[in-house]
Order: sequence, then structure tokens, then C-alpha cells
Amino acid sequence: MEITMKKSIAYTIMAAMALVAANISFTSCEKVSPQGVLIGNTSVDDRVMQSLVNFSSIEVAWDKYLPDTTQEYSFLVGSDSHITIDPGRLEEMLEIGMEHGDLFYCHLGDLADTKVEYYNNTEKAIRNATEKWMNKYLEPVLADDGEVYADTALYYDPRTQNIYTKNKYNIFPNSIPFYPVVGNHDITHNGWALFSRIFKTSFYEFTIRIVCENDTAYDRFIFLDSANGTLGNYQIDEIENGFFQRDKKEIRNTFTFTHTNIFRPSMNEFASTYCREELYYILDKLADWNTTIAFWGHVHAWDERWFGGVHHITMPSMNFVDHPNGGDNLLVRVTVKKNGDAIVEPVGLHCKQRSKEELESQGYWAEKL
Amino acid sequence: MYILKRIILLFTFSLTMCTAVAQYYSGEHTFDGENKNEASVSLTTGKNIITGPCVGNTLHYKHYFNDHWSIDGGTNLQYTKQLYGFKAKGEYHIKVKSFHMFASGEYLFNHYHRFNTNENVANMSVRFERGYWDITLGGSLINYSMMGDHYTEPLTLTFGAHASLRPRTHRWNVGLLFRNYDDFYYENWNINWGLDFYYTIKPSWKLFGEFNIRPAGSMSQLASKYETTGKVGLIYRWK
Repeated sequence: MEITMKKSIAYTIMAAMALVAANISFTSCEKVSPQGVLIGNTSVDDRVMQSLVNFSSIEVAWDKYLPDTTQEYSFLVGSDSHITIDPGRLEEMLEIGMEHGDLFYCHLGDLADTKVEYYNNTEKAIRNATEKWMNKYLEPVLADDGEVYADTALYYDPRTQNIYTKNKYNIFPNSIPFYPVVGNHDITHNGWALFSRIFKTSFYEFTIRIVCENDTAYDRFIFLDSANGTLGNYQIDEIENGFFQRDKKEIRNTFTFTHTNIFRPSMNEFASTYCREELYYILDKLADWNTTIAFWGHVHAWDERWFGGVHHITMPSMNFVDHPNGGDNLLVRVTVKKNGDAIVEPVGLHCKQRSKEELESQGYWAEKL
Repeated sequence: MYILKRIILLFTFSLTMCTAVAQYYSGEHTFDGENKNEASVSLTTGKNIITGPCVGNTLHYKHYFNDHWSIDGGTNLQYTKQLYGFKAKGEYHIKVKSFHMFASGEYLFNHYHRFNTNENVANMSVRFERGYWDITLGGSLINYSMMGDHYTEPLTLTFGAHASLRPRTHRWNVGLLFRNYDDFYYENWNINWGLDFYYTIKPSWKLFGEFNIRPAGSMSQLASKYETTGKVGLIYRWK
């Protein structure tokens, strides 16, 4: 009797695990996690392929936007906003940047939890900020009759001396210079469809030209897709084929942004989920690029260390769940001085979650509150 | 209904349990009362994202002092990965009611030549074993050094499970594995899946093999395939 029982246990375990193994082997080439077996999603290779197509069409526009500078400039970095209904913390980040005059914003992924309504609210927050941003930085060009027509109006950017139509300006990833990477929560439940509709790309780079006295140099910003805990075949092929060196620019500073962390702040946070060789590959590559600061997200906790000559910063989350009352270091501002030194300072977020009535009065979807 | 309940429970269990399995078919058996020495050699081939196709050898030697104590040493030579490692392990075995319990301590060193990186791992694990299945729980401390710096990761859970089609004493066996480590690496939350087997050619010779899928990422990261490997080898036992 006991032997029969053992066999039955063994056979049921075998049957269950064989079912999983069969799923892994025959129904999907890429998704091998228990959840990945049960839920179909994009792979990092899919996203990078799509990103490269989209990137090639927006790259020129980005180059036009980013002004040459002889001065110091700054940018804001945030992570893991996990927006559900209230995008207040994102709005606050964008407001703070405009008040201070930051040149652009970077976000380390898990921007919104994947639901259409959440992404609609996120997009609305970005559109609202874009209007404010255009009003702050751009000058509408009057038509011949002295009027400004919303559909056909031209806008002049005195910083870059470029003229844009409103529509043309919208070919930037999201109008306002907000540069995100994709996080694991951005890709569950086919979230990439929502993310890519707004932000277009998960693997890209841009440079800022620094006009020096006798020469020019560039600061490079690299955005990597690590939402699956790997860079994947295509991304690594692109990196190895010189995607970030194709223009042979003289690089002064390199800043990298990606979601999945390398360093683990403490035992209370998740460990890195890169496989060991890939972890060492990435650290080696960052050193190769002479990276000034590498930014990581995912674990919702602060960690700062220098490793291999690279300054690594793992960011805390900026969402309402982890920090209902906000915090003084939920963002960082990097100020790049004229001499190239990059200074990091914490920036606080303190807004509270709004009520359903407040959100609805501002045009947000808030049915579940 | 009883069977259905059991299948659902075991399926859920197999997907979520935080346990682990050792590499039985490459040398970790209990002392048979006669052969105190055991050596194995294997060939591994596969492909991963970073190094592409890979091929290498592993070698193991195990010595049983008695039914309780054993020591184990091994070396790993992955030529295309340019990964070279060795390990040493001590194990204590005791029978607790119907379970065999194994408590082990292991030191593992890996040199990732391609990235000029040295990795030191200390692991302590406890394995519970019955005729058709086993589970292991433990902890790993992983330290790596490269470019003149070093980093020690906070304590990482070691876990996995293994189920066999036949009892362990049978002449041949096929098993399924679920674990966050392999012979020569300990991962964090990356959970390997695979199939292994052995066949006893003669009392002192065994053929063994393993097919292993090593994912990157974990759980909500909707893990992607990082590496697939196949291993085949021979075990020889003598007095």
C-alpha cells in the first residue's frame, strides 16, 4: 500500500512537471518561467527589434531637440512609480524639473502597472506636463494675420533655434523630454503594447554636444532594456556591433539607465536576476564605456557604491504604496558642471494620493477609488 | 476527485516551492556499504546569450569514509565560455525515520576569464530525500572581484526539488529538476528546469545525463531563456 502511495505521488509530480516542461519545450521558445509559461508576453528580443525600427525614425528629431551647451546642465532621475489611478508623483517630478530648469527626465521603469486605464492616466499626466513645458520653453510663432491657430501653429525653441509644428513636436517619444526604460511591470499582461504606444522604444541612446573653447565633446545617455532580467540576444549583438560607438564621437561622460539591478541593497530586497556571466558582462561593459554613473531600479531601495570605476546608483521607488507620505530622496538630480563633473543630489517628492473626486475633476479615470 | 486535488496541489507545489535538489546522477548517492570511491567525468554542450555555443568538461571525485561522512571534489573546464572552476564539499548523512537527511558545506571557485572575474561561493544546504523525490534548502554567500573591486552579495536562498520516475535503487531512472543552482554555479532567483537520467551499465559503471534550461529573470520578470545545456557522463565506483 505504501509503495502504491509513493508511486502515485511520484507520478503526479512527474505529470505536473512534465506538463510544465512540455509547455516550455513546445509552446514557447523564449518564455520559461512558470508565469511566462502561463501568460504570453513579448520577449526582450521582440522589444529591441521593434525599438530599433522606431528609434531610427525619431533619432533625428531628438538630435534637433537637444541643445548644444557651453553651460552646466541637469537632469532628473526617478524609478518604479507603479502608477495605478493617481499619477501624482509623476506630475510632481515633471513640475519639479520645470521649476528648476532641468534639461530632461529619465525614468528607470515600472512606470505604470499594466492596465489600460492606468496608462491612460499616465499619458494624460504627460500630455498635461507637455502643454506646460511648451508654454515655458517655446514661443508660438504668429501667423501672417497675427493669430495663433492651434492646428497649424509653429513653435520656436530659443535654446536650439529650431522651429516646430505642434504635431512635429509630438514625434518625440512623448513630447516632453521624458526618457524611460521598460520595467518588468511594464511588460506583464501585454503591457509592452501600452508602453510602446506612448514611448516607442526601450533601447536607445542620445548625446548632448558640449561646446568647449577649442573643441567639442559629447555626453552620452544609454537606455537598456533589462525588463526580463536579461539584455537578450539582439541587444547584446547590437552592443557588440558598436551601436553606441557608431558615430565615433568624443565622449566626455556616459550615463546608463536600466531597470533590473545588479547590486542588492540588503537581504530584504530581491537579488539581481541576471545570470552570473551576464552580470559580469554588464559590469565589464560599463567599465568599457567609461561610464560615469549607472542607474538601476527594480528593488525599490537606495544603494550607492563605486565598482570598477563606475558610480552605481540604485533608486528607491517613487510610488504611493511604498511612500504614502513621500520622501526626501525619491528622485535624484544630476548636475553636469562645465568641467564635466557630475554632481548627484537627492530630490524629494511629497504629494499625497488624491481622492476620487479630485482625480475625476481633473479628468482622470478613478472608478475604483 | 482525490487524484485531481492531489495533481492540483502538487502542480502548485512544484511551481512555487522554495526547495532544491542536488545532482544525484553525477555522484551524490548514499554509501552502498562497499564502494568507498566514486569518480565521474562528463561532457557539457549548449548555448547561452553571452558566449553563444559552449562546450566543456567536468570531473568529480567522491570518497565515503562511512555511512555518515563523505567528501567531494570537482573541477569544471568550460572552454568556449572561458570559465574554469573547482569545488570542495563535505557532507554528513543520517537517516531520520523514513527520510535520508544530508547536511553539506561547499566551497566553489570560478574564474570567468573573459571578464577577468573571480567568484567565490560558500554554500550550506540540507537535503531531505525519499525514494522518489527530494528537496533541498540552504544559503549561499557569493563574492566576486573584478577590475580591482569586490562585492559580496547578501545571503541568497538555495532551493530546488527533484522527482524520479523509478526508486533510487532501480537500474535506470529519469527525473525532473527545479532548482536555482547547478554543479558549478549558484544563482539568485533564476530557477533552472530540466530533465536528468542514469542507466547502470554494470554494478560499478553508470551512464548519466542532464538537459537543463537556465532562465534569466524570475517570476514577474517573465523569464527569458538564457542558456540551454546538455550533459552526458560516466560514473565509476570502486572499493
